[in-house]
Amino acid sequence: MHSLAAPTHLHSTPLSSRRKLLSPTPRRSLQCLSVPSSSSSSSSSSSTSKPEPLKSTFVPLFKTIAASSAAALLLHVRSLSLDFGSGGGSGGGGFGGGGGGDGHGGDGGSFWRKLFAPAVANADEPQSQEWDSHGLPANIVVQLNKLSSFKKYKVSEILFFDRRRWTTVGTEDSFFEMVSLRPGGIYNKAQLQKELETLATCGMFEKVDMEGKTNPDGTIAVTISFTESTWQSADRFRCINVGLMPQSKPIEMDADMTDKEKMEYYRSLEKDYKRRIERAKPCLLASPVHREILQMLRDQGKVSARLLQRIRDRVQKWYFDEGYACAQVVNFGNLNTKEVVCEVVEGDITETNIQFLDKLGNVVEGNTQVAVVIREMPKQLRPGNVFNIEAGKQALRNINALGLFSNIEVNPRPDEKREGGIIVEIKLKELDQKTAEVSTEWSIVPGRGGRPTLASLQPGGTVTFEHRNINGLNRSINGSVTTSNFLNPQDDLAFKLEYVHPYLDGVFDPLNRTLRVSCFNSRKLSPVFTGGPGVDEVPPIWVDRAGVKANITENFTRQSKFTYGLVMEEITTRNESSTICPNGQRVLPNGGISADGPPTTLSGTGIDQMAFLQANITRDNTKFLNGAIVGSRNVFQVDQGLGIGSKFPFFNRHQLTLTRFFQLREVEEGAGQPPPPVLVLHGHYGGCVGDLPSYDAFTLGGPYSVRGYNMGEIGAARNILELAAEIRIPVKGTHVYAFAEHGNDLGTSKDVKGNPTEVYRRLGHGSSYGVGAKLGLVRAEYAVDHNSGTGAFFFRFGERF
Amino acid sequence: MASLIREWVGINTFASATQTKLLELLGKLKQENVNTLTILVMGKGGVGKSSTVNSIIGERAVSVNPFQSEAPTPFMVSRSRAGFTLNIIDTPGLIEGGYINDRALEIVKRFLLNKTIDVLLYVDRLDAYRVDNLDRQVVKAITDSFGKGIWNRAVVVLTHAQLSPPDGLPYEDFCFKRSGALLKVVRLGAGLKKRNKQDFALPVVLVENSGRCNKNENDEKVLPNGTAWIPDLVKTITEVVSNGSKSIFVDKKLIEGPNPNERGKLLIPLIFALQYFFVVKPIERAIADDIEKESRPSWDN
Repeated sequence: MHSLAAPTHLHSTPLSSRRKLLSPTPRRSLQCLSVPSSSSSSSSSSSTSKPEPLKSTFVPLFKTIAASSAAALLLHVRSLSLDFGSGGGSGGGGFGGGGGGDGHGGDGGSFWRKLFAPAVANADEPQSQEWDSHGLPANIVVQLNKLSSFKKYKVSEILFFDRRRWTTVGTEDSFFEMVSLRPGGIYNKAQLQKELETLATCGMFEKVDMEGKTNPDGTIAVTISFTESTWQSADRFRCINVGLMPQSKPIEMDADMTDKEKMEYYRSLEKDYKRRIERAKPCLLASPVHREILQMLRDQGKVSARLLQRIRDRVQKWYFDEGYACAQVVNFGNLNTKEVVCEVVEGDITETNIQFLDKLGNVVEGNTQVAVVIREMPKQLRPGNVFNIEAGKQALRNINALGLFSNIEVNPRPDEKREGGIIVEIKLKELDQKTAEVSTEWSIVPGRGGRPTLASLQPGGTVTFEHRNINGLNRSINGSVTTSNFLNPQDDLAFKLEYVHPYLDGVFDPLNRTLRVSCFNSRKLSPVFTGGPGVDEVPPIWVDRAGVKANITENFTRQSKFTYGLVMEEITTRNESSTICPNGQRVLPNGGISADGPPTTLSGTGIDQMAFLQANITRDNTKFLNGAIVGSRNVFQVDQGLGIGSKFPFFNRHQLTLTRFFQLREVEEGAGQPPPPVLVLHGHYGGCVGDLPSYDAFTLGGPYSVRGYNMGEIGAARNILELAAEIRIPVKGTHVYAFAEHGNDLGTSKDVKGNPTEVYRRLGHGSSYGVGAKLGLVRAEYAVDHNSGTGAFFFRFGERF
Repeated sequence: MASLIREWVGINTFASATQTKLLELLGKLKQENVNTLTILVMGKGGVGKSSTVNSIIGERAVSVNPFQSEAPTPFMVSRSRAGFTLNIIDTPGLIEGGYINDRALEIVKRFLLNKTIDVLLYVDRLDAYRVDNLDRQVVKAITDSFGKGIWNRAVVVLTHAQLSPPDGLPYEDFCFKRSGALLKVVRLGAGLKKRNKQDFALPVVLVENSGRCNKNENDEKVLPNGTAWIPDLVKTITEVVSNGSKSIFVDKKLIEGPNPNERGKLLIPLIFALQYFFVVKPIERAIADDIEKESRPSWDN
């Protein structure tokens, strides 16, 4: 009886106390649709539409994910034409023997297409001889059985006549979807008879007739007159999941049964059905919808076929809205009692199947351990749950985030062995394990007299390599070397070598800790040795760091994490000419340069070595609300010196950042909805107790500190406090903002050795305010620096907070 | 003090009345067991610091150049008379190019290392009508270098005192106004609070170093108001010396300040523990809370 794909019908046999209404929509192939068939007309279109509605709905998803990785990605939920085998011919197992499918079972869709295609063709060339004239006088009514079986009739129009209401109903009526005939279509007698039979057996009508009326142009107009089935009123509603229930075997009803035997037979059926209801799993259907349907039943009084259709649509809409794309109302049972039973095949997952494909699409044995993939799958996708398309998308995103696969497909597939079951099939194409890349660039360095010469052409570039997914456990080694001059790489050579070891506690442990070990070096211009406003160029100090870092990251959520580890590094401070310098330089009032400025290192030699513990905990519950960030982010970082290194550095350097994004107006969430205005409050405190070399001093000023100033223009201090407020007003898909910021050294500039703040004539505190607009990734802003009272335009990449 | 201490012969060049007064004052100091007096002279460039030094000593001990900043380094003049030693330290001007000359200040500080300052003469001109931020900076630089306490030992010296005030203002009024404005700046620059005003009753002395300085019947150099200024200056200095405040001993700590890197170092283990329990743990709890409250899709339960 549960031929999902096939139009399976039950006779509305008046004898039966209960009647079942099976799959009221004819020829509806079960498709896992992400678009709910909310209206009656859409269900008919859904069966005829392109077979991959899901594919298209995933295009946006694909795009968003592809933006972050080059991997082509596709969540491919195949349009399912679920044929549970029973549709055709088995008699459907329903009551009254009416469950018999019409034999079109699984290929309902194609049948439909077959019918539909010529109709379209016909519309193009109406005068072609593909159809035959009825050959009768015009305007006479012809019974269906009077039509010639050898002719192909063209149907000019289809009319519905509701005998109960005594009116002709329009195409907007929910019954219209039941009919597969379409105006302009060409049908022979057998087809029309089949149609009538289909309608008669679907359980929606107590009586249905079809007659033709001849038109002068040789076509016929078909009128379908019907009486809608009704049952006694019900005041209870129950929804059950019959997905994985075994098929109940119908007992053949003998034609020559006595009345008593018949009664017995019906009683046993009734009992069976009761047992079946009891054994069925409860439905996921939410109670508000349940109540809504109860209300519908109460309002209606008698249960009519139209009402059942409405209930079906409502229930299915809920399932589709919630993402249960494979759910399908297959039957209404227990009619003519106080309770209406809605039988749903929800799409229970029976198996999760992970496959690796090679470049040609052949199934191969993958390198990746399956557990790595499985741990990224939401619980909802595991066997025993109902397939949900959102969970599928989540799995897709999670797996993609592993960065191991070039192509990912998540496919629900009907389980051939257990009807009503879904196998979630995950097809993965692995990326190459080893990659190496060389990129080169030439830079022209101004030679003598500022003019570039041939000799000043410098070849530079980057060499990167990566060995990923070692042992199939997503461990990786990657490294890169960058230089601006291959001929003389010792001038500036940046390298990084990193080993990443995820699932430190085992791939099955829910604790998600990742070990990272890296060697690094970096070269940065020290913002400590920067002049205040109006100060002539201060000779720059470069801070080179090279060292080893080992840390463990514990991910609590996607954004919140705790990292702790050990850093060992050597810090070298150099002047413009790359000479190691132990002190900052300063320009004397008479124009000379003196090298007795603030000390650059703790040791006083220009080279420091130190080892310290570093811990960072980030709590981030921000989320995007229609494109605007709301929520809060707290970061605490501490560097704890261990007394190991030059001059036995022992210190505790800590910083706490608190940022909150307040939503100023409630808005509806959803695509196309405007984002809310947001107030951002931000505070940053940094402090250090103990040994503080100047390169570790906190600097004030800069795009991520106090806007409107240069990096370090306000000062460099032992303790700092930064406060910022920004209000963001959405405008046409982006936002404009106004901000005010303040940075203060809390009087601790003098606690940095050599007082670089004062030596370079900085104030130690400063405020700024300004306005800006976000243009894509770029922020354009005008900021006024309060210390000098002058404003300037800035273009910045990325976010301030 | 390494430099040779010469006999104070310059005192003899003063008028006899002045000499008498000076010896009287020195005698008074000796009675209070003060045998050495070290005077630090500081101020902006070109206000007459060196001239003042020369005037007190009574000889051209320090070369004075009216058009150039003279001494790039501090210079100490030591003279002794009857068992009493007078040290006067002349310093270069602290201002160069509109800014505090940190280097000069640094040199002064180094020079003063392990010396005791009994009196600070803060020199400025009487005939400068305005005070500005620069004055404040100079005062601040001095305060930062030697601490607030030095202002207990300070005398404000206003040079070029022989002038006719503008707009026919009475001389006394003008002096009062000028010194009032300057004192205000000094108080501000030294970071003295209002309530300390009484404690810091900075004495102001007027000085005229010019050779054209008027003299009275005793051949003493006098100011337009008739005061003989050399004895007045020395008298004020002796008063400051005996006002009960401490001399400033310049040691390494005073020059370099306390080593901020050492401060609180012992507390670091405690701080680290507190951070763990009162910052990291609460954040962890907040994260757990977030996970709890996270709005999950309806299918994820």
